[in-house]
Amino acid sequence: MHSELLSEVAGQAEVTPAIVAFHDVSKWYGNVIGLNKLTIRIPAGVTGLLGPNGAGKSTLLQLATGQLYPSQGSVQVLGQPIWNNPSLNRSIGLCPEQDAFYEWMSGFDFVMTCARLSGMSKRAARDAAGRTIESVGMSRHKDRAIRGYSKGMRQRTKMAQALVHDPEVLFLDEPMTGTDPVARRDLMDIIQRLGGEGKSVIVSSHVLHEVQSLTPNIILLNHGRLLAEGQVRQIRDLIDKHPHHIVLISDGARKLAARLVSWPDVEGVRVLPDDRGLMVETRVPDAFYSRLPELSLEDGTAIREVYSDDDNLEAVFKYLVNKSA
Amino acid sequence: MLFELEGVTKTYGAVTALDDLSLSVAPGAIGLLGPNGSGKTTMIRTLLGLIQIDAGSGNVLGMDIRRRQLDVRRAVGFAPEDECLFPRMEGIEFVAYAGELVGMRTKDAMQRSHEVLDYVGLGEVRYRKVETYSTGMKQRLKLASAIVHDPDLLILDEPTNGMDPAGREEILQLSRDLAHNKGMSLLFSSHLLPDVEAVCDTIVVLGGGKLLAQGDIQQLKELHNRFFEVRVKADAELFAQRLSALGCSTEIREDIILVQLPEGRTPQMLWQVAADHRQQIRHLRPQRGTLEEVFLKAVERT
Amino acid sequence: MPIFDQGYQHWSGELSGHAWRWLAISRQGVRVGLKNRFLRLLLFVAWVPALALVLMLCAWGLLERGSAMVSGFTRLIALMQPSLVMDPKYYRADIWRLSYGYFLQIELWVSMILVLLAGPSLISQDLRFNALPLYFSRPLRRIDYFLGKLGVIVAFLAMVVILPAIVAYIFGLLFSLDITILRDTFGILLASIGYGVIIALSAGLLILALSTLSRNSRYVALLWIGLWFVGSIVGHALQAVDSQDRRQAYYNKITVTRPMGRDDASLSNAERQRQRREWHRAIQRANDEYRVAELEFSKNDWRPLVSYSANLSRLGQQLLHTNQTWAKLAAMQPDPASRDRILALYMGPQFPWYWSAGVLVGLFGLSACILNFSVKSLDKLK
Repeated sequence: MHSELLSEVAGQAEVTPAIVAFHDVSKWYGNVIGLNKLTIRIPAGVTGLLGPNGAGKSTLLQLATGQLYPSQGSVQVLGQPIWNNPSLNRSIGLCPEQDAFYEWMSGFDFVMTCARLSGMSKRAARDAAGRTIESVGMSRHKDRAIRGYSKGMRQRTKMAQALVHDPEVLFLDEPMTGTDPVARRDLMDIIQRLGGEGKSVIVSSHVLHEVQSLTPNIILLNHGRLLAEGQVRQIRDLIDKHPHHIVLISDGARKLAARLVSWPDVEGVRVLPDDRGLMVETRVPDAFYSRLPELSLEDGTAIREVYSDDDNLEAVFKYLVNKSA
Repeated sequence: MLFELEGVTKTYGAVTALDDLSLSVAPGAIGLLGPNGSGKTTMIRTLLGLIQIDAGSGNVLGMDIRRRQLDVRRAVGFAPEDECLFPRMEGIEFVAYAGELVGMRTKDAMQRSHEVLDYVGLGEVRYRKVETYSTGMKQRLKLASAIVHDPDLLILDEPTNGMDPAGREEILQLSRDLAHNKGMSLLFSSHLLPDVEAVCDTIVVLGGGKLLAQGDIQQLKELHNRFFEVRVKADAELFAQRLSALGCSTEIREDIILVQLPEGRTPQMLWQVAADHRQQIRHLRPQRGTLEEVFLKAVERT
Repeated sequence: MPIFDQGYQHWSGELSGHAWRWLAISRQGVRVGLKNRFLRLLLFVAWVPALALVLMLCAWGLLERGSAMVSGFTRLIALMQPSLVMDPKYYRADIWRLSYGYFLQIELWVSMILVLLAGPSLISQDLRFNALPLYFSRPLRRIDYFLGKLGVIVAFLAMVVILPAIVAYIFGLLFSLDITILRDTFGILLASIGYGVIIALSAGLLILALSTLSRNSRYVALLWIGLWFVGSIVGHALQAVDSQDRRQAYYNKITVTRPMGRDDASLSNAERQRQRREWHRAIQRANDEYRVAELEFSKNDWRPLVSYSANLSRLGQQLLHTNQTWAKLAAMQPDPASRDRILALYMGPQFPWYWSAGVLVGLFGLSACILNFSVKSLDKLK
């Protein structure tokens, strides 16, 4: 089942050039497996990296940023091996999950120091730091010591430090923990803008609805192995075991149900509470949808709303992770 | 009334955490929202009677927050935001100890502790040391220790912080069950708006120490009567053009078409266009504001 | 109804009043402490001196009644000090006093080790695992929390000092079968209990204060060892350095000739041995005289105050009046040399007890301040 999924989706992924490429990468720590024979090619644009705890997301990020060396296989970023490659590191930005600041520094000093560490001249670093801090919305607090920052401010500063040297590839590990919705919205806008500029942004997160609003492209890991890769909808279509749940809201719900049951591709029809509509199960959504418009125009079966209950990332995650667990 | 605050002010040196806050909340499931620094944490601490307010008055479940602070804490359960544990205990001892600290007798606390651990789903691991629990389990343990004395009001501060999707689902399910089925009032403070929507019926938005918005979630999210979200299988642009030709105003946002129907027309019009041109409509819903919009609008007003 | 709701059940029991909240904390602390097997071992070992005390008191009780079971013991005492055996009841209070004095001195050491084992983790673990929000978001005040934690130390120290003292007293009473004992010795029991309480409160509050200073209980343990050992060593060193000159003055007064080396052929073996014996006796005499003189000097010596345990034992001696007892025993000796011997060996330091009391009260206050400062309630801006 997994290999079928991979081969189907891999065919589509070959088309776009890969910015981050893992080839048969395994990594273990003593006996504990971090990643198990992972082959993946991440293109430009925003990609979500998902998986339950212990799935290997942090290991993947550490390998991709050159902090770890794979036990097997090779990791390449922008066409070159990333391990021990300082010049390549300048094209990579990392926003880690933990806070690792020099607490006594001001936000501006910290970002500028990071800029200088990646090889920029003093003046260039100062300009870049100012610009980046402006873009994350921290200009007002940039001269305060980091010690006094709230969680949201720290996250923004971390993002600034990851962006300051204008990297081609950006790795973000839980970038929005502890931020309030205002900061969240700002950070999401920045991420989408970067994706639109052609950079490759990999966002690892547990908060599925956020990843969903950022990008349809995801990588799903479980137990150190690749579980699914590609666009959420395409993956959903490939999940055979769970028929699609499509909700129809209509005043003539039962009459609609009677008509639907006669269709061969409809596997189940459930009437929603108060007869306000139906939930239809089908494994052939394409055929189903193509017959809907005529059905709605028939007498007494006008459909007011139609939407899919489980065509989203949460459902896909639950189906795939629970199945393999 | 679940709790009421009247003109409450609290300053820490130069920082005003609560600024003449007046608020009245009925029992139920309430989401507490607000940007960082809006005074949410201070308000929660005020309700628990943990801090001395500079001005104003208030009561929780009818008890004055200035005079009956200890009584308030007996009727309220609180699960704090940060990681916190009583060290070196098994799960069952942890929850029983939490109960004893509220004043339960030892036997009552032990019996109740078993019951509550079963409820939150930690029954299997109750004899393990709490240091060995995963993050999700620790959050559920915190929840269990907050409800062991059967409070009338449960306050949860960022309960799904840093949890993986499975863990988040469990906490939200437990919160929903307690608030809607078991008659416990719930104050749910979170930055994750979908979580708040999944659990709560009403929200309170704070900002800068003041009340920015309050009300029923469904009512606050505006319903745009003739606006619909439509997604078609392919060729969204073409479909939108056809709709425009018939008098609709359309706007394409990513893969969704926002359609405003002309006066007096129903969605049947859209089905007609789809049938005529052999298009599939895969998503058709009335456009509703999101909670995020409600929040951002409330905050921007200041 | 055949199927019962397995979900959340409501509970409508009673919640106890506020006053007993600290008891829950103490109980939990004692439970956690007892899990440490070294502590359990120490609690067991601490009863050995108690056993010795019981034996002594029982033996004396039997001696008073002229029992044949302790005839060997009676003969021994008669050898050392006949007047004790001739009128044992007169000296009863003194014997009890000295026995309790030794017992309490040993148990003071045991207490210090006990506090080392049970104390450091009391608050430092709560700080490390961030348990304070869980405590203070419940109907609990800071004072309840502190009392609860203090109660743990008090419980353990009571088990080691107060409980054995009471049990030994009861046994001693039983074996003497003489109700007048109560009149003579009840004060000793009260003094012992009071001493136990002082140790418990002083050491308890001190270790609590130290426990708030670090999240790692090992560092707190080191601090406690430092306070105890280092203070004690420094106190002794100061005293030794200061009294060096005075001791030398006594040595200089020795008139007996110092024996030469072995290769002095002018004297016979017997002669040489006699000379050596005389020399040792002279040294001992000089030492005793010096120490007795030191007792006078020590009335104004502040140096022992540096040692925490010395302060506690000074108070113990004062409560039990052991110094007076030894003085009385010394006075019974026929000649000045043996009188000085006893005084030199057994008398405690003579500086005023209220100096020690002052030091302990000061430490108590300091501990309270540290506690107040380190453990703040949740009224603060995060």
